[in-house]
Amino acid sequence: MSDTQVPGHHAQDKTAQLHRELEAVWRNPHGWRALTVVNHSTLGLRFMGTGLAFFLIGGVLAMLIRAQLALPSQAFMTPEIYNQVTTMHGTVMMFLFAIPVLEGLAIYLIPKMLGTRDLLCPRLTAFGYWCYLFGGIILLSSMALEMAPDSGWFMYTPLSSGEYSPGKGSDFWLLGITFVEISALSAGVELTVSILRTRADGMALHRMPLFAWYILVMALMIVVGFPPLIFGSVLLELERATGMPFFIVEQGGDPILWQHLFWLFGHPEVYIIFLPAAGIVSTLLPVFARRPIVGYGWAVAAVIITGFISFGLWVHHMFTVGIPHLAQAFFSAASMLVAVPTAIQVFVWLATLWLGRPRMSLPMLWILGFLVIFVCGGLTGVMLALVPFDWQVHDTHFVVAHMHYVLVGGMFFPLMAGLVYWLPLVSGRMPSERLGRLGFWLTFLGFNLTFLIMHWTGLLGMPRRVYTYDSTMGWDIYNLISSVGGFMLSAGIAVVLLDLALHWRYGRPAPPNPWEADTLEWALAMPPAPYNFASLPTIKSRHPLWHNPALGDEMARGEHALADASHGRREILGGEVLTGRVRERIHLPTNSWWPLFAALVLAVVCIGLLVRLYPLALGAFLVAVVMLLRWAWENGGHPVAAPLGDEEGDELPLHSRTQGGPARYTMGVSLIADGAFFHSLLFGWFYLWSVSPQWRLPEQSPLDPMLLIGAGIAFALGMLWLERRLRRLYAGNETRLALAFYLIAAFGGLHVLLLGVLLWQADLAPTDNAHDAILLVSLSYLLAHGLLATVLMVLQGRRAALGYVSTRLPMEPGVVALFWRYQLGIYAVLAVSLGVLPRVIGGGA
Amino acid sequence: MIRRVLWLDTEHPMQLALGLTIWSLWFVTVYGGLSVVCAVSPPAPEEGAFTGLNLVLGGLTLLTLGFLAWLTQRCVAAARRKRGRLRYMSALAGGLYLFSTLGVAFVGLPLLLLPPCL
Repeated sequence: MSDTQVPGHHAQDKTAQLHRELEAVWRNPHGWRALTVVNHSTLGLRFMGTGLAFFLIGGVLAMLIRAQLALPSQAFMTPEIYNQVTTMHGTVMMFLFAIPVLEGLAIYLIPKMLGTRDLLCPRLTAFGYWCYLFGGIILLSSMALEMAPDSGWFMYTPLSSGEYSPGKGSDFWLLGITFVEISALSAGVELTVSILRTRADGMALHRMPLFAWYILVMALMIVVGFPPLIFGSVLLELERATGMPFFIVEQGGDPILWQHLFWLFGHPEVYIIFLPAAGIVSTLLPVFARRPIVGYGWAVAAVIITGFISFGLWVHHMFTVGIPHLAQAFFSAASMLVAVPTAIQVFVWLATLWLGRPRMSLPMLWILGFLVIFVCGGLTGVMLALVPFDWQVHDTHFVVAHMHYVLVGGMFFPLMAGLVYWLPLVSGRMPSERLGRLGFWLTFLGFNLTFLIMHWTGLLGMPRRVYTYDSTMGWDIYNLISSVGGFMLSAGIAVVLLDLALHWRYGRPAPPNPWEADTLEWALAMPPAPYNFASLPTIKSRHPLWHNPALGDEMARGEHALADASHGRREILGGEVLTGRVRERIHLPTNSWWPLFAALVLAVVCIGLLVRLYPLALGAFLVAVVMLLRWAWENGGHPVAAPLGDEEGDELPLHSRTQGGPARYTMGVSLIADGAFFHSLLFGWFYLWSVSPQWRLPEQSPLDPMLLIGAGIAFALGMLWLERRLRRLYAGNETRLALAFYLIAAFGGLHVLLLGVLLWQADLAPTDNAHDAILLVSLSYLLAHGLLATVLMVLQGRRAALGYVSTRLPMEPGVVALFWRYQLGIYAVLAVSLGVLPRVIGGGA
Repeated sequence: MIRRVLWLDTEHPMQLALGLTIWSLWFVTVYGGLSVVCAVSPPAPEEGAFTGLNLVLGGLTLLTLGFLAWLTQRCVAAARRKRGRLRYMSALAGGLYLFSTLGVAFVGLPLLLLPPCL
C-alpha cells in the first residue's frame, strides 16, 4: 500500500509547492499597497463595484426626474436643476456605468475564458481604473458644487458653448468625460491585444469562446469610436477656455461639426454597450439550453457586421438638421441594414433554445426579459430609421422610450443575467432563486410600465428635456403611470441589491462548475487564485469543459504548460493570432505605484484646466509625461522586468527576446486609436472648409513651404536610417547601436525644431477665425507626436547603451519604429491637406 | 520571384475585415462626395435623379459592387475546396463579403430615385 501512496504524496507535495510558488509571485499585497495591485480579477471587480456605485447615483437622478414629471405643473425642481439632473442621469449611466461595468466584466473574465493568467498590460488595466475613478469623481463633484452640466448628455453646441453656458458645467463634462475615456481606450487596446495574442495553446479563432469574439469587436469599436468624441471635446474646451471659434458660425466654425463628432462616437457607443451584453447572452444561453450554440459562425459574422455597420449610422441622429434627402436615404438604409445582424443573433438564440433542452434558472429569466424588451426596442429602432417617422417623433418621449428599451433591455438585463451566472465564480456561493425572481419580476414589470407607456406620451407630442407640462396637454395619466412604473423598477433593483448583500453570508455553497458550463473560467477554484491557472491548457475543442470535464483538476495539478514559477516572473503564453499556436513566453510586470501616481497627476491636470490655472495644468502634465516614461522604462530586458540570464529556460523564448512580441500589437492598436483621432481632425478641417458658411481661406497660406518640406525631409531621413539600423540589428549587428539611435533622434529633434519655427512664423490668429484655430491644433498635434518620437528614440539610445536593447533583446526599436512610421504618414497627409491643397484648390497663393 | 501577400489568402483574419472596410470606404466616399458637391456646386433640383453626380456615384457603386461580388465568389470557392479551420475562415469571410455586397446595393439604391441636393 505504501508503494502506491508514496508517489501520490509526492505528486501532492509537488502540486502544493507549485501553488505556493505561484502565490508568492502573483499574490495581491494588502494595506496601502493594495493600491498598487495590477491583477485583472481584482481590477475587474473594482471596475464593476465602482460602476455599481455610479449606477445607484444615476438611478436616484432618474427617480428625481420621474418624481418631477409624475404630475403636471410641479415645482419639485426648478428648470435649471431639472436640466442638470437629466444631463447627469444620461452622462452617468452612459459613461460612468454602462461602459466601465462591461469593461470590468471583460477584464475579469477574458483571461479566464482564454485560459491564461492575466491581461497583457496589467499596469494599463490599473491606470485605466484610476482614470475612471478620478474622472468620475471630478464629474460628480460638479453636482455637489451645484454647477453640474445642463446641456443634455450629448452637449450640443451652441447650447454648451461659452455664450449660452458660461458656467463651469460644460467644462466639468468635457474634461471629466475625456479623463474617463482614457480608461475606456486603455481597456480597448489591451483587451484587443490580449484576445489576439494570449489565448491558450490551440485556441484558434474558430475555437474561441463567443464572448471573446464579442469583446474583441467591442474593444476595437472603442479604439475607433472614442477618439472622435475626445477630439470634439478638445475643440469645445479650447473654444470655451481660449475663444478658438470651432463651432461659431460668424468666425468660420459650425455647430453641426460637434453633432457629427459626437454621433460618430455616440451611435457606435450604443453597440459598444450592446455587444458585450449580447456576448453574455450567447455564452449563457447554450449552457442553459444544454447544447452548443446553433450557428456559431453566423453569430461571429453578425458581431463583425455590427461592428462595422454601426459606424455608418451616425447621421440618423441628425435627420432634422437639414441635410439633403439623398444623404438621409443613405443613413436610413444603413440604419435598417444594422437590424440584419441583430436579427441573425436573435434567430441564433431562438434556434438554440428550440433545439436544446432549456432549464429555466434565474439567469435564463433575465435573458428572456432581455429578448422581449430588446426585440421591441429594435423594432422601434427600425421605425425611427424611417426619415418621415423620425421627423414626427424627433425629440419626443418616444425617442426616450426607444433608447431605454434598447439600452436597458439590451444591456442591463443581460448584465443581470451575467451577474447571477458568474456570481458563484466570485463568491463560491449560489444565488437565491426566490429573491432573485422577485427582483426580476419587479424590474421587468416596472420597466415596461415606465417605458412602454412613454411611447404613447411621445406619440402624443410630449417633448423630451422639458421640466414640466400643462394639464391641458393630456399627458397627465401617462406620466403618472410611467412614474409609478419607475418606482416599481427601483424597488426591483433594491431587491436585487438586497439579494446581493445577503448572498455573501447566506448563499448556498456552490459545487464545482455549478451550471455545467463549457468555458474555461469554470475550471477554476471559486473564488479563483490570483494566477487563475496553475498550468495553462492546450485546447482542442470549442467546449473544453464539455470535451474534458477533468481539465480543471489536471491544470490545478500542474499537468499542462508553464507549471513553474521558481524564476519569480509572472509568465503567460503568447500565441499566433489565427491558430493560437504558442510562440513565446510573455513576462508581465508586477504590482506598481506608477499607474495610481500617473492618474493622480492627470487628475491635477484636469482640475488645473477646470479652474483655469494653466501653469499648474502644464506643470502637472509634464510630470505625468515623465511618470509615464519612467513607467515604460521598466520593461523588456530591464533588471526589474526580465534581465538577461545565462540560462533562459526551456525552448520557448521570452517575448522581449523576440523581434515581434505582443508590444508591436499593443503599439499597433494604440496607433489605430491615434489614427481615429487624426481622421477626426482631418474630417474637421475638410468639413469646415467645405460646409461652414463663413469659412475663409487666407489669400496667402501662412505655412512656409520650405519649412514644411524641410521638416518632412528631416524626419524621413531619420526614419530611413532607423529602418536600416533595424534590419542590421535583426541580422545580428549591434555595432554602435546607441550612437546610431542618438543620431536618429537628432533628426527627430531637427524635425521638431523646424515645425516649431513653422508654427512661430505662421503668426496665426486662432481666436479670430476657425481656419487659424484648426491649423494651430493640427500643427500642435504634429509637434507633440514629433517630440514624443524623438524622446522615445533618445531613450532607445540610452537603453542600447545600458544593454537593455541588443541583438539578444531586439524587440523595442521595432515598436518605436511603428510610431515613427505613423508620424511620417500623418505628417505627409497633413502637409498636403493644410499646406498644398489650399494653394492648389483655392484661397492661398 | 513574386512575394506571396499573406493577407490576400482567403483564410487570413484580415479577410474578415476587408469586405466591410470596403463597404465603409464606399459609404464615406459616396456620402462625402455628395456633401461636398452639394456644398460647392449643387445640380439644379429640376434635373431630378438623372444628374452627373448621381451617375458618378452610381458608377462607383457598381464598381464596388462588382469587386465585392468577385471577392465573395473567391472566398466561397475556396471554402468549398478547403477543410477544417481554413474552410471555416474562408466561409466566414465569404459571408461577410456577401453581406457587404448586399449592403452596397441596398444603401446605394436611393441614387436611382432621389435628386442629390434637395
